[in-house]
Amino acid sequence: MLHNLALGFSVAGTPFNLLLAFIGVLMGTLIGVLPGIGPMTGVALLIPLTFGMPPTSAIILMAGIYYGAMYGGSTTSILVNTPGESASVVTCLDGYEMAKKGRAGPALAAAAIGSFIAGTFATLALMAFGPVLAKVALHFGPPEFFALMVMGLTVVTSLAGRSMLKALFATLFGLAIAMIGIDLQSAAQRFTFGNPELMDGVEFLVVAIGLFALTEVFINISEMKHAKEVTTEKIQGGLWLTKEDWKRFWPSCTRGTLSGFFVGGIAGAGAAVASFVSYGIEKRMSKHKDELGKGAIEGVTGPESANNAAAGGSLIHLLCLGIPGSGTTAIMLGALIMLGLQPGPLLFTQQPEFVWGLIASMYIGNVMLLVLNLPLVGMWVKLLKVPEYLLTLFIIMFSFLGVYTMNNSIQDLVIMVLFGIIGYGMKRADIPASPVILGMVLGKQMEEKFRQSMVISDGSLSIFFSRPIALALLALAVISITNPYWKHIGAFVKGLFMKPEADAA
Amino acid sequence: MSIRSAVMALTVLAGGITFAAETYPSKPLEIVAPANPGGGFDALARAISRSLDTEKLYPQSNSVINKPGAGGAIGFAYMQMKSKDNYELTVFSPPLIIGSINGTFPSRYTELTPIAKLITDYQVFLVRADSPYKTFKDLMAAVKRNPQAVKFAGGSAAGNMDHLAFCKVAKAAGVDPSKLVYVAFSGGGEAMTTLLGGNVAFVSTGIGEAIPQIQAGTVRALAVTAPERRGGPMASVPTVKEAGINVTYEVWRGVFGTPGMSKEAQEYWMKTLKTMSTTKSWADSVQKMQWVDAYADAAAFAKFLAEENKSYEDLMKNLGLVK
Repeated sequence: MLHNLALGFSVAGTPFNLLLAFIGVLMGTLIGVLPGIGPMTGVALLIPLTFGMPPTSAIILMAGIYYGAMYGGSTTSILVNTPGESASVVTCLDGYEMAKKGRAGPALAAAAIGSFIAGTFATLALMAFGPVLAKVALHFGPPEFFALMVMGLTVVTSLAGRSMLKALFATLFGLAIAMIGIDLQSAAQRFTFGNPELMDGVEFLVVAIGLFALTEVFINISEMKHAKEVTTEKIQGGLWLTKEDWKRFWPSCTRGTLSGFFVGGIAGAGAAVASFVSYGIEKRMSKHKDELGKGAIEGVTGPESANNAAAGGSLIHLLCLGIPGSGTTAIMLGALIMLGLQPGPLLFTQQPEFVWGLIASMYIGNVMLLVLNLPLVGMWVKLLKVPEYLLTLFIIMFSFLGVYTMNNSIQDLVIMVLFGIIGYGMKRADIPASPVILGMVLGKQMEEKFRQSMVISDGSLSIFFSRPIALALLALAVISITNPYWKHIGAFVKGLFMKPEADAA
Repeated sequence: MSIRSAVMALTVLAGGITFAAETYPSKPLEIVAPANPGGGFDALARAISRSLDTEKLYPQSNSVINKPGAGGAIGFAYMQMKSKDNYELTVFSPPLIIGSINGTFPSRYTELTPIAKLITDYQVFLVRADSPYKTFKDLMAAVKRNPQAVKFAGGSAAGNMDHLAFCKVAKAAGVDPSKLVYVAFSGGGEAMTTLLGGNVAFVSTGIGEAIPQIQAGTVRALAVTAPERRGGPMASVPTVKEAGINVTYEVWRGVFGTPGMSKEAQEYWMKTLKTMSTTKSWADSVQKMQWVDAYADAAAFAKFLAEENKSYEDLMKNLGLVK
């Protein structure tokens, strides 16, 4: 293995490949910061540039963009409540709260360091266990996926604010939005009203930006009217993590990395799902779970580590199975085939200089990202010193630009504004917005996987209970959702036994 | 994105200045790819664009614009909006016909002006390496015995190419296609994982996606839907015809102009694309993308489309996908 790695570094270390890795991570960071332009579009637009490059150089550039975007996506989530890409939506919850409290610096730093550790771990794991993990991944059929999504949905209990009922309402709303579009199994159109742009469903980032960023704008505007004074965010304390922060950083980073790698690398479910699952885990296992949602560092570190580990993990699917685990890796697969390379089980043996060159360049790229991002934290934080009315304009511009560039669609802008208004109403009614996003992200896949399972089993539900992985995941979901009520159930059962005695007496 | 807007602005500007020009190509050309960057349509549109540039076949500039969504319906609507514009071309494949039959497209495919069929591809049916079905005949015998038990998967919604390709073959073999059980996935990769995980009996997919798995020996290709055997890594894979079912299924790709494009412009592009299909840069693209050259001129293309339309209509009626 060391011999292979040395080969890899000799490939990745050429000045040309180093330059490409640098360009890749730099562009990736930018793409991540801008909402709308996701890593998928970024990689796709660069494909023509890679024509004529050796395949190794091409993948170094593309992979750099992919994990660079995972780094950059958190920045706008934390600073202006506008997720840069789908995997950073959860980061808004605590990241923006931290920024509001003047702790944007530590939040950005924690996101960058967490991403670095998770990215490096994913690279190491890809190197050590890639081909083995790829085999495990094949055990994830539709029933296992469905069970995973159900487990993900239990996260809602941790996203609920004061009222569980309101959170469930919001989740159902999200699930309902996820149903818009052409149904995969029957090809029937649902809730499209004959509108061709609705056939693919509503893009999840359009809703997320409406519900988070525009809602924030509306709130700002309505409050500006009441109090004419313009308040600027105060930056308190340092830009760097405190001793206390570090103590809380490590456990959440470890949990985020492992869960993200599982979700992205083994199940192949993508970075957005990974970030949600990680947030749920933090809410249950963190020592500071009560602070989550109010600006806890765990809420940033966990999901940000998870989405980077998932991005690295999904490369396992691409390289070892030849099967893309996400939209971005699907485009990368297309590009590699175009370059005359066949990703798949034989890649490791047939093209060692390609695989190990990529792995080595991922180490290098992760270091570059850390060096690139940490000094920039101070610059990003200065953004918060901008007066609120200017910042509001800035958010509006960012939101419209980002959503428009996604599909060049005016209708997407209308939908975004609509969700901004809905979000404002929800905020006033104290209904949490994040369960809507959760319902949307998981709902579509959950339904698809359920229907696929049903077709495979000829309509028998036993398929979920006869397969060990699916059963285990479903059991975990049940345990985690009933967890808070065990005490009550215990008391209730006790009460049942006590009562007759009381009557007898 | 800003570069593209700048190019578009220049296009508009140039259009305004050259309004008095008399001969046909007096404006920049826009090639509409009705899908996202990175997909098959995008690759084809960009290959055409590159060849027009390198071979200096079009005296003006040309650019590719992506109109993704709804399986091409958004791109189709865009072409409708540009009716009679002689400087818009687009590329389409069988979903154009499928969408115009099942009503997901805003209008019939005949509205577009056919210019040329350029390339083609075929479907392949794969089983897992350890599958009991050794040959396509084995598979078809099992399907005939009990279609319910031999489920197949594909990377697109029901009623799309992956589904219909096998339905067409089954129908030709005397099996009622509405009895077949198709599991739809939202991408070829997911369908492949499902096959490798042993959850379905076989997969219907494009040849390109199948090659890495075939080479690795994780799957076995039972048949291709081509009229004769394909070359390279697919050389050992028999055709459906060899199994005694006289049918082919073609995933063609061709170029269309806007509704109501002028005769002059249509003829210009017929000639230009014909020349292009013989150039070295085009041959390079075809080879790189593992396409099959299948040039047919406008008249032959239109006739071919009418046959395709008939065949799809029958099949989809049979499946209850159209009333």
